[in-house]
Amino acid sequence: MAETEFNSMEKRLPNFAARGGFAKLLQVEVPADSICWHRFFGALQLALVFLLFLSGALMAFAYTPVPGTAYDSVDYFQFSLSLGNVVRGVHHYAWNLLLVVMGLHLLRALIVGAYKAPRRIVWISGVAFLLLMPLFIISGDLLPWDQKGYWSTQVRFSIIASIPVAGDFLVQLFRGGPLTGIVALTRLYVLHILLLPCALVLLIGLHFYFMATRGLSGPLPGKLIPRPKVPFMPAIVNRWLAVFIVSAIGLGLVAWQWPAALGDPADPTDSAFIPRPEWWVLFLNQLVAIFKGPFMVLGSAIIPGGLALLIGALPFIDRSPERRPSKRMGVMVATAVVLAGLTALSVMGYVEHFMRPEH
Amino acid sequence: MQKPMKIGVLTCVLLSILGLFFFSNNVTGAAKQTLTTVYSKAAPTGLDDPMWVKIKALEVPFDGKEKFAGKKTSVTTKAVFTDSEIHFWFNWKDANMSVTKEAWTYDGKTWSHLKGDEDRISLLFEINRINNFATKGCAVTCHVPPGAPNAKEGKFGTATDAEKGDLWHWKAARSDPAGYADDGYLAKISDTKGGRKGDAGKGGDRQNMTADKSKPMYMLAPGKKLAKNGILLAGDAVEITDYSVFKAGDVVTFRMPVAAEGSFGDIKAVSRYADGAWTVLLSRKLDTGHDDDVAFNPQKKYSFAMALFDDSKDQDSYDSEALTLEFKK
Repeated sequence: MAETEFNSMEKRLPNFAARGGFAKLLQVEVPADSICWHRFFGALQLALVFLLFLSGALMAFAYTPVPGTAYDSVDYFQFSLSLGNVVRGVHHYAWNLLLVVMGLHLLRALIVGAYKAPRRIVWISGVAFLLLMPLFIISGDLLPWDQKGYWSTQVRFSIIASIPVAGDFLVQLFRGGPLTGIVALTRLYVLHILLLPCALVLLIGLHFYFMATRGLSGPLPGKLIPRPKVPFMPAIVNRWLAVFIVSAIGLGLVAWQWPAALGDPADPTDSAFIPRPEWWVLFLNQLVAIFKGPFMVLGSAIIPGGLALLIGALPFIDRSPERRPSKRMGVMVATAVVLAGLTALSVMGYVEHFMRPEH
Repeated sequence: MQKPMKIGVLTCVLLSILGLFFFSNNVTGAAKQTLTTVYSKAAPTGLDDPMWVKIKALEVPFDGKEKFAGKKTSVTTKAVFTDSEIHFWFNWKDANMSVTKEAWTYDGKTWSHLKGDEDRISLLFEINRINNFATKGCAVTCHVPPGAPNAKEGKFGTATDAEKGDLWHWKAARSDPAGYADDGYLAKISDTKGGRKGDAGKGGDRQNMTADKSKPMYMLAPGKKLAKNGILLAGDAVEITDYSVFKAGDVVTFRMPVAAEGSFGDIKAVSRYADGAWTVLLSRKLDTGHDDDVAFNPQKKYSFAMALFDDSKDQDSYDSEALTLEFKK
């Protein structure tokens, strides 16, 4: 009974897509609890993606993907164009916040067992979405052609190169030559503004499609109550718009007050520059620092790759229909251990890179 | 507003604050000194304004070049900005106050030049980005390694037309007595000329000598007084008609500062030499509106470098590394 209610949307959305028409959209209904607070992260995620697309498109109007000139164009956009600092700041803060929100979204789905059948494919498309983000960041960091972006990219290339078999090929693919120059910048630019956004839109579309066909996860078993419904239009759409507007204004104000940093222009001859890792990659840097020499591949590929694989394959590892966290202690303990490990490594990385006097 | 919505909005705000905490950090790598210029509603009244005591100083190390090779010195640097101006305060030790600048001296029979140069401090900012200036400072404009496109013995300049620097040049003998620092710029070097040029307008100094270069041509006009440190300003000079008024031991300024006008005179200067140290205050509008000046935007950071000249010529200097100037409101 409850499952039928949860899946009311799944029956309607494909029909809507097939028949088309605004009127059909007005008829779509979703469970009222789909706008509860712990589902808020998905809406915020979508709002942040929209903000990233919008701010990125605006920045692209002024950007020149040529080493040196790239820096000047970003500098011009941020400091000479009206609201340029706000737009770039929104782009900067939005992707950072997106990582946090994606993590919380995934954690929420993990805790309530939303990855279980019949929503396995929803989970997998969400994990694929998450795994796409590092590529966005790797490709986007080089674009301002500043010291931090240039040298962070060099570090990342060296980490990627340590991946057995495919490492050198991947670096060659990204860089297009022995040095990080105009070819690398052009390739990463195309990746960042064309290929990756297309992949992201596709994944978001698939995520929504699977969500519509497989249904939203309902309340945990034992808490089943008759669920009132609300119309998708305008209830859900209006709330999403509210989230979008609040996010845009909030991030805009933050960006206005604390503009995104733009460091010195990249100097490829200045090997003394040691980039500090971003917060989200501190754990990975620490892993690479722990496993040195021939074991570097453990930290750079095997452990993070294995973890990503484990998260993606979770619906096939935990196959029981049980969704209550208290009855899934194995998954909960494993999640807590992984989170504790990531936190510990990140703290170690923070101490190493931000608190040591040599930095 | 429904309760879930309130919680949602609250979470959004909390995440924004969390994001701010984590992501607004200033990501830098290798050590590069940063001079923080702090905001003040009112401009400093002078070298001894109490605000200078409160402002945190940056001790900038300088390395000697050419005849000063191997020597080191340092300059205590502070800066404040108002809604329209920026003010730099410098203090450095110097055993001797040098303002001679080859002044004329008379021995009772003939005129000759005294030995001695002047003390100077200069700052170079980017108007348009100078390739690698942010990391290498003066090494890419003034002390260029052989083989670089702008490497010309004894001449300074940038390598391309697109690169342009704003040069502030305080000279103890040739600009300070007139109350300003030379405002110039650094452009592309050519085969025949250096890239150092003066801003539009009037300024600099005028050489005080006769056509045959044997003696001074000007002296202090009646009713006028010599400027600071006994320097004769070009505006206070009158042509010498009777050389018999001079007696042995008399000294006359050779390089007479000219009152600055236009963009050349954008940088006001106040200084004092006392207790074996120079204290210099340079003030300028944040944005002069002149295309030969860097326009400071308090939201932005700027790379700059400094050089110190201790009674020496251009090549014999003490140079700082590249520095960052940031604004804090």
